[in-house]
Amino acid sequence: MQLSSVYLFEVGSQKAQWLSARQTAIAANVANANTPGYHAVDIQPFSAVLDSSPIELATTNPAHLSLPQSETGALREVEVDPAEQTLSGNTVNIEQQMINLGDVNRDYTMGSNIRRAFHQLLLSALK
Amino acid sequence: MQDSLQTALRIAASGLQAQSTRLRIVSQNIANAQSTGSMPGADPYSRQTVSFESEMDRTLGANVVNVKSIGVDSSPFKLEHDPGNPAADEGGMVKMPNVDVLTELADMREANRSYEANLQVAKQSADMLNTTISLMKDA
Repeated sequence: MQLSSVYLFEVGSQKAQWLSARQTAIAANVANANTPGYHAVDIQPFSAVLDSSPIELATTNPAHLSLPQSETGALREVEVDPAEQTLSGNTVNIEQQMINLGDVNRDYTMGSNIRRAFHQLLLSALK
Repeated sequence: MQDSLQTALRIAASGLQAQSTRLRIVSQNIANAQSTGSMPGADPYSRQTVSFESEMDRTLGANVVNVKSIGVDSSPFKLEHDPGNPAADEGGMVKMPNVDVLTELADMREANRSYEANLQVAKQSADMLNTTISLMKDA
């Protein structure tokens, strides 16, 4: 068994985790679309999450400290053109959020279909 | 930590709740657009307003939306000449509610739009959860 296909499952699950975190950010934006002073948020792009995946040190002794895991769902404010800000100080663009929502859905479906395909591949070797 | 998709569902639910409260207040305002006082010179129905706030839900670890307060619009009442009205003062003037139906309708459309957006998020989060569950179907 090549390691590469196992790594695919790893990336697949990372991507699913990232998409769920993004879905949470979108949900917060849409829910607060009419809240005065609310600033739209998003999470860092997936490529940044992949690049910053830390190499973990083995903890062979209970006294060893583990490195803090990088947070997938860390929120950051989206920069918005001041002209798009409403009078109440809200920067949520509901149309943009709906587009993001579609992106997340499409990527999630694709990711799970790919994982299903590879899973079937493994199963066909086993059965 | 809770599942992010479940969190997204809860946030969308808070949005739905907030927007339906807003819609309730709008319908209350429109229904009372002609409600005068019962005594001569008495104040009529005052328009009510809703304001939202973003609140950190500690069990979810996310920002949900809540109705901050339901306030009373303190703008002046409109005066109409209607001597036959029980609420008319000595001059025959009646204080009418400070409800502007056009403003209320605009507010209603916005609440409707936001409600639909929240519903879309909730539907889609549920869809994503189902997609994950269906991975186990043919295993």
